Amino acid sequence: MRVHVDPEKCQGHTLCAMRAPDLFELSEIDGHSSAVADEIPAGREADASEAARSCPEQAISLS
Amino acid sequence: MSAQDLDDSARKAKRHHFDRHAPDYRDHFEEITEELHQKCPVAWTDTYGGHWVASGHQEVFEIARRADVLSNDNDVSGERRGYVGISIPSAQGQRYRGGFLEMDPPEQRHYRQALNPYLSPAAVARWTPVVDELARASLDEKIETGSIDFVDDLANIVPAVLTLAMMGLPLADWPIYCEPAHAAVYTPPDSPDMPRVRQQSIEMSMRLYQAILEIRENPRPGLIDALIHAEINGEAPGDAEITGALGLLIGGGFDTTTALTAHSLEYLSEHPGERERLRRERGTLLDPATEEFLRFYTPAPGDGRTISAGCELAGTSFKEGERLWVSWAMANRDPKVFPEPNKIDLARTGNRHTSFGLGIHRCIGSNMARMTFKRMLLAVLDRMPGYVCDPAGAVHYPTIGVIQGMQHLPATFTPGPRLGPSLDETLEILQRACDEQRLAEPVTRRHQQAEIGRPAE
Repeated sequence: MRVHVDPEKCQGHTLCAMRAPDLFELSEIDGHSSAVADEIPAGREADASEAARSCPEQAISLS
Repeated sequence: MSAQDLDDSARKAKRHHFDRHAPDYRDHFEEITEELHQKCPVAWTDTYGGHWVASGHQEVFEIARRADVLSNDNDVSGERRGYVGISIPSAQGQRYRGGFLEMDPPEQRHYRQALNPYLSPAAVARWTPVVDELARASLDEKIETGSIDFVDDLANIVPAVLTLAMMGLPLADWPIYCEPAHAAVYTPPDSPDMPRVRQQSIEMSMRLYQAILEIRENPRPGLIDALIHAEINGEAPGDAEITGALGLLIGGGFDTTTALTAHSLEYLSEHPGERERLRRERGTLLDPATEEFLRFYTPAPGDGRTISAGCELAGTSFKEGERLWVSWAMANRDPKVFPEPNKIDLARTGNRHTSFGLGIHRCIGSNMARMTFKRMLLAVLDRMPGYVCDPAGAVHYPTIGVIQGMQHLPATFTPGPRLGPSLDETLEILQRACDEQRLAEPVTRRHQQAEIGRPAE
């Protein structure tokens, strides 16, 4: 499973990193998120999906 | 009927009487919300000169992020298009804009870029020991007596002192800012108390203005210093603009977190089983429970916008200049996104609530709000685990047009021992920590957590 955070959509709500701090890292300066790695490690798909579902801006895409 | 009128009546066919300032809206919030969701998730209402109201989650989601066709601008001096900002009805006699929440990009972006390094998750985490000390000292003031007002004695104090600390203002001054910040929100415009409240607000603005002059003269780190040195469209902002931004930070930083904390503590008193579950399972529940309280109680229930270019959004055609109320609170109760929306589920998943807004104006203090709320809540759960709120003494704001807040929340509990110095003494200790460790520097300049040394008991 691959993950991408759209930097144009992300506004730094931080819910993704709250759910899966190992998958999403937040900018120290403005809290905007990016994926730690494009590929989700095996066994972490459920948290990645929950992070995508709970993003208020719907900025996270999984494929 | 002219073609224009015909066009307007077709566009505004979905009409619904909606007055968010009426006490009725607070008292029947769930029924009114349900009706709007079912009949017209985007409705035209004739109140306050006529405006749109968006209540459905999908509709709010589609509309609110479109900064290309929406404006937050409050053109107080009539230099641009005459838009009137984010309040409906617009605030009368406002002399300066409500900070960057009443601005559009690129200006708005420049302000946020200047302040983000003070308010990002990493920046806010550095203040956790300060918040813990403030919560400890606030509870200590009452812990031996067995009774507390969670608003006056805890939830008003901690966010206020932290906001001042981040701004670079003296911590002991918190009462000067605290009362007007709350009273300006809960006092109805026609109240006999309003002149006094207005006077207090003016005094607060004067004090802020003076602080700007002082910090210009003798720089000290914090949000005020950041604003003084900000580059907005290539220039430093004027004092009136800085005062507006500081007013926004105080308005946003004080009353909202207080409102969230008080409502959540009230709910947990009414649901002791849930309280015990949260206390025990905080490791997994504290985060989702915080988001659920944010969703359910939505302290800032919505924002006004002006349509800045004719557009078709969420199935509605909008005209330039029309006013629109975006209801975060009602979007948060949409059953299409939140199953059983009128129920609190501490472990709710997929909770993409809109309580901090959506799009470029996302609440800049959201990280601070979450951290402060969580630390206050844990302090109460640890030290007063069996507290009981007194419903007869609880005072909710009579209307929820601006903030869904609480003025008082008295409670009783089994007394316990004090754990440290008094609040006044603690403020002195924290002030020294702020000064010596320069805690209010941006995270780009200071990474370490605050260290709070306490005299041995």
